Amino acid sequence: MEQIATFHTHFGALSFQRRLKALGEDGVMAPVPRKLSASCGTCVRFTRPFDPAALSDEDLEAVYAVEAGGYRLLFENEEA
Amino acid sequence: MEKIKSHLGIILTGLIVGAVSVVLVAFGNPLNMGFCIACFLRDIAGGVGLHRAAAVQYIRPEIIGLVLGALIMALAGKEFKVRGGSSPMARFVLGFCVMVGALMFLGCPLRMVIRLGGGDGNAILGLIGFILGIFIGTLFLKKGFSLKKSQPQNRVEGTLMPAVAAALLVLVAAAPAFLFFSQEGPGSMRAPLLLALAGGLIVGALAQRTRLCMVGGIRDVMLFRDWHLLMGFLAIFAAVLVGNLIVGAAGARGGFTPGFAGQPVAHTDGLWNLLGMVLVGLASVLLGGCPLRQLILAGSGNSDSAVAVLGMVVGAAFCHNFGLASSAEGPTGAGKIAVLIGLAVAAAIGGLNLNRKK
Repeated sequence: MEQIATFHTHFGALSFQRRLKALGEDGVMAPVPRKLSASCGTCVRFTRPFDPAALSDEDLEAVYAVEAGGYRLLFENEEA
Repeated sequence: MEKIKSHLGIILTGLIVGAVSVVLVAFGNPLNMGFCIACFLRDIAGGVGLHRAAAVQYIRPEIIGLVLGALIMALAGKEFKVRGGSSPMARFVLGFCVMVGALMFLGCPLRMVIRLGGGDGNAILGLIGFILGIFIGTLFLKKGFSLKKSQPQNRVEGTLMPAVAAALLVLVAAAPAFLFFSQEGPGSMRAPLLLALAGGLIVGALAQRTRLCMVGGIRDVMLFRDWHLLMGFLAIFAAVLVGNLIVGAAGARGGFTPGFAGQPVAHTDGLWNLLGMVLVGLASVLLGGCPLRQLILAGSGNSDSAVAVLGMVVGAAFCHNFGLASSAEGPTGAGKIAVLIGLAVAAAIGGLNLNRKK
């Protein structure tokens, strides 16, 4: 399943991609789709089932499933 | 077809920004300066007396319109999100550095594109420097640069910059005697208040909707081979070029005059045009967007960008109080030193905020 992770910082995307790589997947970095954010941040596209314990950190904002009609929210990081 | 459709918004926005800027010049703004975020923030700093350079003092309604246009669009789209607290001092200083570089070149990245569309060859050197600065900035990003994540904040925090813009609008409309209005020079050249305000509102709203950003376009090509934002940049150039050819043929104010010498509000020192924009490109990448983008984000509730804008305003005041800003005669010795210091400061902020990948 194609998924998109969005982040609070570009560094968050870099780190996420690195953790994906350690799990054996090459995630693809891209500008975050306009529908998901008014900010001009970086997102990572990946297919491995999302596991918050292995992939999440404080810079992760949310994870969406890419579907025919658009995006479905799978995970939203909690903020203080 | 789907692909072209996805780029339509940014291209149309670029075309409208270019057209509005040609119209603002035709109705009185300085030549090749329909919009210039750096110049206009500098004019505002002068208008409220933060510096006393008599030729560049006017509370520019375009800036007010940009902030309020972004605010209205963000509220309409339920995207007014109040966040901040991501290294505010670093952002203030980087904003200051952006202004030092921009006033060396005499223009923000948006005016650089507008100058190119007016035939100003000096802006080609600026563009080369800008690209170089963005490239250096992307190296920092790839090495783990981060100003850390922002936090959700109280709504008041995100409302204050739009409130300041609204207060400035009241001031410029009422024109009390304690404000400064240039009687000659670029600050005296202005499109009618309502037209300038409308131009800012339109561009601010569209830029919020499309995320138009001069830095983002080149950065995204370098980082991701993504050309989306750059299309806005190219569309502005195309619209300004065509618009200038039309107003030139019609005998209106403006027009396309190719060359290096005698360009309006510009100088011919290629090296310092280039280095000034290296600083603008580098500091803007570290901030996450060009001066226009900082204004738009500030209008959308981002208090970090509001702090960057304040850094630019204070930077502009320093530039004119201490003779750092260039003029048509060329750069100043103090300005050159300031740009070199600015490059060192921006690089230090970049280097000291590198993170190890987790």
